[in-house]
Amino acid sequence: MDEFIQQTATGLSTGSLYAILALSLVLIYRSTGVVNFAQGEMAMFTTFIAWSLWEWGPGFWVAFFLAIVVAGVFGGLIEMIALRPVENGPILNPIIVTLGLFTLINSVALRIWQGEPKAFPSPGIFQGAALSLGPADISRAKIGVLVMSLIIMALIYAFFNYTKLGLAMRGCAQNRTASQLVGIRVGRMLALGWALSAMVGAVAGMMLAPNLFLSPSMMLGVLLFSFAAAVLGGLDSPVGAIVGGLIIGVVQNWAGTYIPNGSSIDITVAFLVIIIILVIRPRGLFGKRVVQRV
Amino acid sequence: MVKAILRPRYVLLALALVLLAVFPYMHNWPFFDGYLSDFRTFQATRFAIWLIILMGLNLLTGYSGQISLGHAAFVTIGAYAAAIMMNEWGTPVFLAVLLAGLITGLIGFLFGIPALRLSGPYLAIATLALVIALPQVLKHDLVDQWTGGVMGISLSSPQVPNGAASNLNIDQWLYYNCMIAAIVMTGVAWSLTRSRLGRAFVALRDSEIGAQQMGIHVSLYKMTAFGISSLYAGVGGALYIYTQSYLGPSTFDINASLTMLVMVVLGGLASIVGSIFAALIMTARIDLTDFIVSLVPFGDKIGIESSRGAIFGLLLILSIIFTPRGVAGSIRHAREANIGGRLRALFTKRERRAREEEAEVLSK
Repeated sequence: MDEFIQQTATGLSTGSLYAILALSLVLIYRSTGVVNFAQGEMAMFTTFIAWSLWEWGPGFWVAFFLAIVVAGVFGGLIEMIALRPVENGPILNPIIVTLGLFTLINSVALRIWQGEPKAFPSPGIFQGAALSLGPADISRAKIGVLVMSLIIMALIYAFFNYTKLGLAMRGCAQNRTASQLVGIRVGRMLALGWALSAMVGAVAGMMLAPNLFLSPSMMLGVLLFSFAAAVLGGLDSPVGAIVGGLIIGVVQNWAGTYIPNGSSIDITVAFLVIIIILVIRPRGLFGKRVVQRV
Repeated sequence: MVKAILRPRYVLLALALVLLAVFPYMHNWPFFDGYLSDFRTFQATRFAIWLIILMGLNLLTGYSGQISLGHAAFVTIGAYAAAIMMNEWGTPVFLAVLLAGLITGLIGFLFGIPALRLSGPYLAIATLALVIALPQVLKHDLVDQWTGGVMGISLSSPQVPNGAASNLNIDQWLYYNCMIAAIVMTGVAWSLTRSRLGRAFVALRDSEIGAQQMGIHVSLYKMTAFGISSLYAGVGGALYIYTQSYLGPSTFDINASLTMLVMVVLGGLASIVGSIFAALIMTARIDLTDFIVSLVPFGDKIGIESSRGAIFGLLLILSIIFTPRGVAGSIRHAREANIGGRLRALFTKRERRAREEEAEVLSK
C-alpha cells in the first residue's frame, strides 16, 4: 500500500509538469482558438532569456519577472507578424504557422545558447529536503510546480469569467464577426491572447527548467504529454488541464510499476487511456459540448 | 474529338507521362548529364513513394476534413507488414505490397471507429497517440522476434529480375516499380474524388449534419476515408522498405507525421495536383534548405544545423502566408482570374479590336 501511495505521488509530481504547460495551451486555445504547437518552444526560449538575465546577476526574482514581461511582448509580436496574415484563411493554416514557429524558434535557440544543457536556478523555497506526506515523499520543486499551476489556474478562471477583457477575448475566440459587431477590437484581443499565453508559458518554462535541465530540446518530451493533458481535460478548461496532466502522470507511473516489464509500454498505456476517455467524452473531461447549427 | 484530345491539359499530361517514362535514362543524354544521375533517379523514386503517401493523407484531411497527425504510424505499419511477409514467408514483392496496403487499410478503417466521435484538435491528439505509442509496441518483447525490436527490420536488398537485368540497373528498376504504382494510385485517387464517394467526403467535410440530411452514412464514410487513406500509407510504406531494405521503429516518427501534414497543406488541400506538388516539395525540401544554407556562410556545424531548421521554419511560415491555399490553390486562383487570357488579349490585335468595338457599343 505504501508503495502504491508513493508511486501515485511520483505520478502526480510528473503530472504537475505536464499540467503547467497544458495551462498555457488551454489559455491560447480559449482566447484565440489556435492549437499552438510552438507553445513549448516559446516557453523554452523565454526560459533561456530568464537564464541569461539571471547570469547577468540581478537575482532570481528580478530575472523571473523581467522574463515574463519579455515573453508577453514576444508573444504579442508573434501574433501580429506571423499569425495575423493567416487568421482569416483555411483553418489548418494557423496550425502550420505554429509548426513553422516551432522549428524556427528551436533553431534560433540552438544557435544562440548551443545544445548542452544548463542548470536553471530554483528559488529558495523550492529547495531542500523532500516533503513527507504520510508514507510518500514528494520533492519541493514538484510541489512548487503544482502550487504554481493552481495559482495560474485560479487566475485564468477569474480572468475569463469575471473581467470584461476576459469575456471579450472569449467572444473573439468563439465568433469573430459577432465580437467585431459589438465593438470588440478583435486583432488587439488576439495579440493579447498570445501575449498572455506566452507569459503563462514563460512561468511554466521557468518552473520546469530546474526539473528538466535547460536545453533547446527541453520541451520535446513534455509538450506532447501537455497536449494530451489539455485535450483530456477539455481544451477550453483550465481545471481540466491540471486534472488531465495529473491523470496522465499517474497512469503512466502506475503502468510502469504494475504491468510486468511496464516501463517499455507505459506511454502506450497512457495514450490508450486517453483515447478511451476521449471516446466516452469527446470534448474531454471538463470541456463544454458545442451545439452546432447547420 | 481531335480537338478534345488536344486540349492543353491532356497534352500536358501526355508530355508528363513521356518525361516520367524516359527520366531514368535522361542522364545519358547530352546537356542533361550535368544535372541528372542515378541519384536523381533514386530521388524520383522517393518522390513516387511520397506521392502515394501524401495522396492518401490528402484524401483524408483535404477531402473528408479529418485531421490526422498520426499518418506516419500507418506508413510504418505498412512497411513492417510487407517486410514481415517477405522475410517470414518469402512473399513476392508485388503481393506483399498489395497485402500490406490492404492490411493497413483495414487497421485504418477500424481506427476510424474511435475517431468517429472526435473532431478537430481532439481527433488530432487521438491520431497522435497512435504514432507515439507504435514504437513502444513494435519494440515490445511479445513481437520483437518478427519486428526486430529496437534494431528495426531489414530486408535483403532488392535485385533486378534476371530477364530485365541487361537493360536496367537497380535504381531504374525501383524507379519504374514505384512510379507505375504511383501513377496507378494517382489515377485511382483522381477517379475516386470525382465519384459518389469523393463527393460524399466533401459533403461530410463541409457539413456533417448537412451530409447526413442528404442520406450519407456519416460513420461508414468517415471510416472509409480513414481506410482508403491508410491503404495508401500502407502501400507507400511497403514500397519504402522495399527500396530502402531497412526501417527502424521510429523512422517515421511524430516529426515525419507533422511534416507530411505540412506538405499536404503547402501543396494544396483537396487537390490531386496539390498532392503532386506536396510530394515534390517533400522530396526537394532538404536540397532546397541545403542550397540556401550553402549561399550564406553560417560557420561551424551547430551553426549550419540550426540555420537549416531556421530557414525551413521561415520558408514554411512565408509560404503559408503568401499561398494560403497551397500551390494548387494559387494555380487555380491564377486560372480563375484568367491572367493568361488577359495577357493574350493585350497582345492579340483581333481581341483588342473586339474589345474596342464592345466598348463602343457599351458607350452608346
